[in-house]
Amino acid sequence: MRALLFALMLEILVNGLARGAIYALIALGYTMVYGILGMINFAHGEIFMLGMFGAVYALGALGSAGLMAVGITLPLAIVAAMVFSAGFGILNERIAYRKLRGAHLLAPLTSAIGMSIVLQNFVMLSVTKGKVDFPRAIAAPLADTTWTFGSWDLSSIQATILSVLPDVWARWMASKWVVQSVHLSALQLLIFAITLGLMGLLFWLIQRTRLGIALRAVAQDRTMASLCGMKVDGLITLTFALGSALAASAGVMVSMYQGVLRFDAGYMMGLKAFTAAVLGGIGNIPGAVIGGLLIGLAEDLTSFTIASEWKQSTAFAILILVLWLRPRGLLGERVADKV
Amino acid sequence: MKPFRQILTVAFAAGALLGCQKKEETLKIGLAGVQTGPDGEIGTAPIRGSQLAIDEWNAKGGVLGMKIEAVTRDDEGKANQAVAVAQELVAAGVKAVVGHFNSGCSLPASEVYHQAGIVQITPASTNPQVTERGFKQTFRMCGRDDQQGDVSAKFAFDSLKVTQVAVIHNKTAYGQGIGEVFRKTFEAKTGKVTLFDGLASEEMDFRATISAIQKSGAQAVYWGGMYNQGGPFYNQLRQAGFKGAFLGGDGIYDNELIKTVGAKADSLFITFGPDFFHSEVAKPFLAAFKKKFNQEASGYTIYGYDAANTLLQAIQKAQSTDADRISEALRSQSWKGLMGDAEFDQKGDLKKANFVIWTIRAGAFAVR
Repeated sequence: MRALLFALMLEILVNGLARGAIYALIALGYTMVYGILGMINFAHGEIFMLGMFGAVYALGALGSAGLMAVGITLPLAIVAAMVFSAGFGILNERIAYRKLRGAHLLAPLTSAIGMSIVLQNFVMLSVTKGKVDFPRAIAAPLADTTWTFGSWDLSSIQATILSVLPDVWARWMASKWVVQSVHLSALQLLIFAITLGLMGLLFWLIQRTRLGIALRAVAQDRTMASLCGMKVDGLITLTFALGSALAASAGVMVSMYQGVLRFDAGYMMGLKAFTAAVLGGIGNIPGAVIGGLLIGLAEDLTSFTIASEWKQSTAFAILILVLWLRPRGLLGERVADKV
Repeated sequence: MKPFRQILTVAFAAGALLGCQKKEETLKIGLAGVQTGPDGEIGTAPIRGSQLAIDEWNAKGGVLGMKIEAVTRDDEGKANQAVAVAQELVAAGVKAVVGHFNSGCSLPASEVYHQAGIVQITPASTNPQVTERGFKQTFRMCGRDDQQGDVSAKFAFDSLKVTQVAVIHNKTAYGQGIGEVFRKTFEAKTGKVTLFDGLASEEMDFRATISAIQKSGAQAVYWGGMYNQGGPFYNQLRQAGFKGAFLGGDGIYDNELIKTVGAKADSLFITFGPDFFHSEVAKPFLAAFKKKFNQEASGYTIYGYDAANTLLQAIQKAQSTDADRISEALRSQSWKGLMGDAEFDQKGDLKKANFVIWTIRAGAFAVR
């Protein structure tokens, strides 16, 4: 029984990290925009949702064009979704935020909430109010390919440990350490791979390129950056495009992972990702990643050990606790790093 | 504030009535239920069924010499919106309401109809409380959760021979209610409910819950919720290697479920009314529905159709639009519908609820 429990705990780690990786991808968009504009883009969850629909449409178009091989269509669909969402992100900034850049803090916030409602209702009315199934032919092979790791007999290690420890411990470690099968699906591997790849690219872009230096400069001091000849508007547009593209890739993975998508899918995801960004320290890029992973893990651990009913409470309880102890989030004070 | 609001409502209703009398006299029937949001698709089905019934009556000349006018309202599946919709319908001067869909909506809305003295027939709200509050003019055209949870639990224990079941619900009046009934019956049969847990109704990632289900040693899962979550939940259970049976109530009986789980879904058992898709009496209805809405009728369409038909027949019999007279007429006899004979008891429930076990066979729902 204990062995099974341990195996399921490992599985929870895998599932929680997969969920957290997705939160992290979305959280990056919140944190980047905050870093550069000092505003919360509450329409970001909707950009994520548009990415879901973009991918399904792209797959449909590719399918009718005769392309069927998952290896080709899926990457193309992800890229299409990223471009689609980036377009919406850019438009969003142009329409709803640019005019309000100098306005009071609450103006762009209200505008963002309005934008979120508009986009959600737009999809509901123009596409469908019901659910859409992600094409099974694409998702099923990935989701159904599972590897089972398991049956590691760790009793020799256990014996070694026990031989050093005092006898009292033996009572606590009476059952044998055997790890039973842990499931890992190809889809989860893909989620980890894409998430890590995209995050790596983003870090490289921000830390190692001239463009990244420019982005960081705008984040530090917009006026000064423009005085030095940087195209501030263009760089802000780029930030929105990057964040939206990341959210779209998360959207594609979520819709494959869950199998279904709906017009209101961005609401909860957006809220959780925003929480992750705040948890990690809003404006801080590694913070968003850590925050996302933490929330994903905490939710799944809660579901497993306490009850699913408490899942959301835990995520937000952690947020309150962290903000109480560290008001600027886990990595919040490294202001120099923000973008 | 409150008396003022009541006066306003009365004034508004009176105004609406006066307004009606000037024109040709019509009988207004409210069609209320969820049409948008997660339950939008399944909730639209009974409304369309009722609409078809009203159209047919109008083609025959209406009822009591009046044309019937359907006043359709969307409650979005939310309790507060349901109350607002109920007040709107009362103000619009409807004489009876077919609705709402969700139990969580029917419960608060029926208070409004009760106060206003309006007959309400719900085509789909199965929570026991709907008819347990002594409202004389509240009826339902469907069974109760204590009936279908009961059928499901007995089926699991007696036919599937499972003794350990995990019950997962969607934290709504319907889902949690039906889950609790299942638990009660299953435990009374000496079965063990290894896990009883709920998830928010927008959650679509069930993997952590599934690990908890596997840990608990459950041989089968009972899902108290709707099809939109039920489909992904089922798929993820199978992906995690869970091979046991998946049981659910009428909330997952929708063609959209099959689209999500695929034609090959196995060990999926649903409680729903008897098979009318293959009955002779339903054929004209199915054809007419297809013609009007250009889609196949789904399970709940017929509930809406029968509810509206029964209501209009009762109005015809009562020769009145008075709520008490209609209620009296509804209870007075057995009504022939597409689903069979319907007879109401004192509470307003069907005397004979006919839940049977359905499963998916060859890409369609089929009676087991």
